[in-house]
Order: sequence, then structure tokens, then C-alpha cells
Amino acid sequence: MGIDAGNLLTKVVLMDGDEVLASAVAETTGAVTKDTEALVSRVLEEAGVDRGKVEQCGVTGSGASMIGGTDFQEDEVTCVSVAAGYLLREINMAVDIGGQSITAMLIDEDGDITNFMRNDKCASGSGRFLEVMSGAVGVPVTGIAAAVEGASKRVVISSQCGVFAESEVVSHVNEGEKPEDIVAGLCEAVASIVAAQARRFASGDEYTLTGGVSRIGPVRDLIIQKLGGTYHEFPFDPALAAAIGAALLAGAS
Amino acid sequence: MSALDGKVVFAGIDVGSLSAQAVLLEERRDTDRSKSSAGGKMSARSIHVTPNPVESARQVMGGLLDEVGLSWDDIDCCVSTGYGREKVQGEGMSNANVSEISCHGLGARALMPGVKTVIDIGGQDAKVIRIDDAGELADFVMNDKCAAGTGRFLEVMSRTLGIGFEELGQLALSARNRIELSSRCSIFAETEALHYLQRGADKREVAAGITRSMADRVAALARRVGVERDVVMTGGVAKNPAVKAELERILGVRLLAPPIDPQLIGAYGAAVLARRESSC
Repeated sequence: MGIDAGNLLTKVVLMDGDEVLASAVAETTGAVTKDTEALVSRVLEEAGVDRGKVEQCGVTGSGASMIGGTDFQEDEVTCVSVAAGYLLREINMAVDIGGQSITAMLIDEDGDITNFMRNDKCASGSGRFLEVMSGAVGVPVTGIAAAVEGASKRVVISSQCGVFAESEVVSHVNEGEKPEDIVAGLCEAVASIVAAQARRFASGDEYTLTGGVSRIGPVRDLIIQKLGGTYHEFPFDPALAAAIGAALLAGAS
Repeated sequence: MSALDGKVVFAGIDVGSLSAQAVLLEERRDTDRSKSSAGGKMSARSIHVTPNPVESARQVMGGLLDEVGLSWDDIDCCVSTGYGREKVQGEGMSNANVSEISCHGLGARALMPGVKTVIDIGGQDAKVIRIDDAGELADFVMNDKCAAGTGRFLEVMSRTLGIGFEELGQLALSARNRIELSSRCSIFAETEALHYLQRGADKREVAAGITRSMADRVAALARRVGVERDVVMTGGVAKNPAVKAELERILGVRLLAPPIDPQLIGAYGAAVLARRESSC
């Protein structure tokens, strides 16, 4: 079992070897322990597995230390790189776009992480950024992909700072731009920020995208378009990458 | 033309992102302007901007002219500055446009001849300007990419505290302790402050943490260009006593307070430039 108590989402996976038996994702609230316990029960029930049958449980994410009763704890960069490197042997880079961070990781042929760059000091381009911006337009994050389908153009968002970009979005709304067109512009802005960071690792030409933001189709597609190289799709829900890595590491320990 | 017997009028207009200022300098026509750096009678006005910088300029200067009983035609020379400066000149409201960096440097220097460093914190940007012994612009650094360390940070955080932007400074000064905000990013800091408040933290202590964080960012910017005395703080944030006090503590220098409203320095510097005979 792997648990990832992230900033915005908590994820739990139950694995057997390389296979995900069951998974559950919920928004992170203040009550980390209680929320995680509910997700664990849901996953066990869905897989039809008794709690006692779980051999090892690994935990990661910013709230990891608040979760008791686990066997193994590792940071999320390691967990994501393990999941990506182990499940996708051909890649040399993984780019994780999480709730409050963007991380580019270089991975060698053995699936081990050799270098990484992480921005968790600034909201720019993260899930939180997208959440604030789409909130200003009045489109929920889960509705972004559908909104972009109805867009006829992309409204340019030039600020990278979340606060400045929010003002920019609000003025676009006031000027009467269509919400769909603004959301399409937001996806473009996020993709540009992520791609700029990933491109700093010039050698990363075989890559995968992980983290909650990679779930959003239009953002993912624009990143792929900007990055060049070859994209390898993460074989499970990309938001689960760190939890999967935690489970794999727990299983190997 | 109004009765301007033997008088000259110089004007400066500063259209910023949040507010616009107009300054008029009136003096006798026979004043030797090469000798005094600033003189005559000063009048000023400040407004919140409209979405159109040209309209903001028209309103702020038009209002000031009405107030002092002058008309646009009475202005001998006008310099515009701020982000709308080119459009303002394009509409014929100014004779020249000059960057806000130069105008702030010049304005501060004209008011306080010993000034070597100007820390200008505006609504959406922060600048630190170094002036050499001759009074010329030597170097500057600017942050307009990130809200941290600008007036916007204080605005966002005041909203989080549920207080007015102007109340933040006094609230912070009344705190006995300070809550350390670990996030530099305004968006993360907002979440962090909210988290503290939800857990029952004292508003004053959170306010003190906010002003400290603000001062830390400004100090980091100032150190990149070097801080040499005398140091003056201008821009809207200079009115926040807590940020000013923290910044003095961090940098280890006294910050001079300009003799006029710090928000007016840009427009004042523009008017001083207009007064230089070469400008028009």
C-alpha cells in the first residue's frame, strides 16, 4: 500500500507487484489522519483485501509525518522518480506538477534519480495556481478540460506570479472575454511555465508527466507540444505516481 | 490665459498601476533655475486610476488645475512618468516622458540632497535606485514579476486578515510577538496565514509576520544593488510604519521620510525635470 498526503490531494493505492488493485483520491483537509483512514478503508473494500493482508505500507507527501501506523516513509521526489523509472524503463526524465510544486527529475537507465529541480517556493504553474485562476473565472478545476473544448481562442495571460495573473484574469472577465477562452489561455500559461522549467534539463528527451495537473488533458497536451522529445504516458492515473512509488518502495524494503 | 503675471508653471504627471498623481510647481519667471534644485509653490493631487491611463492623467491634472485656478494652457512644461507615460505624451498632455526610475531618483534627490539610495515600493512593483555623488542615476534593481515584496502582497494579506490595507501597519506595531511566515509566495503565504488564523492565532501577531516578510523581501532586493546612506523610502508602502521599522532593523539604517507625501515623489521628480530648461 502507498499513501501520498499531498498539499491539495491525498491518494491511496493498493498494489500487487506492478499492478494497481485499487486506488482512491480525495481533497486534503485539515483532518489528515481521519481522511486518510477513510481512503484506506475504501481502497481495501474495493480490492476485497483484508487489512491484515497488507504486507507493507509506505507513506509520502507533505503530510506524511502526520500519518501513523505505516512501515516506511520517503520524500515525494524519490517516490515519483521510483514510480516513473520503474514502470517506464525507456524514460530519462519525469516532470511532476503537483498542488504546490513543479519538479523535473532526471532518471538514469537503471530507473534511479540522478538530479532534480524543484520549485515549491512559488505557486507559479502549480495546481494551486490553476485553482486560483480557474476560480477567478468561475470554472472548477475539474471543468477545465470541458471548458477548453468550447474555446474559440486563447486569451494571453502574461504574468507568471499567481497574484498578478489573478488580476489579469479578473480584468479579462470584466472586459467580457469568454470564460472558455480565458481557461484555454490559462492552460497555455501553465504549460509554458512547466515547459520552461523542464527544458532546463536539456537531456530529458524521453519523459513522462505525473502529478495532479497532468490529469488535465489540455494542459498535458500543450506541455507535450512545447517540450518536443518523446512523451511516454504514465500507465496509471498520474496523480497517483508518488503513492505508487511509496508502495513500490515499501514492497522492496 | 489666466493672470499669471511673471509666473511660470511646471507640471509632472505620474500614472501608476493603482493611483495617479499630479504635481504643479509655480514660481517667478525670473527665478534662476540653474541655482535652486526645487522651489516655488507646490500643489499636488492623487486619485485612484481609471482603466485608461490617458483618462487618469486628464482627471488628476484637470482636477488639480481647477483646484489652484489654472488651466492646461498655463503649464509651461509638463513631464509624464509611470506606466502610462507614453500614452499621456501621445495625447499631448505632456511635453516629454521619462521613466519612473529617473523621476523617483530625481524627485528624492531634489527634496533631500544627501540621498544615495531610494527604496520605492509601489502597488505592483518594488525598485531600489542608487544615486551617485553627482546626483545621477547610478544603478537600480526592480521586481515587477512577483507580488512578494510589493504593495500587492500587503493588499492580499490585509484581505486575508479581514482588515483595510491602511490598518495593517498599526495592527502589526501593536503586536508583542510575531508569527513567522515561511512562504515567500503571496499565494502560499495567504494559505499559511489563514491556517494560523483558523487555529486561533492573534491577528496582530500574524500582521507582524506579514510586515516582517514584506521587509525581508524588500531588504533582499535592496542588498542586490547596495544600500548607501542616506536612504529614503518612497511609494505607497512607505506609509506603513511597521514595514518601515522592520526594514530599518534589517538594513541597519535609518530611513528618511520624504518631506512630502511619498506617493508624490515620482510626479514631483517629473515636475522638477520639466523645470530643467532642457526638457521643453
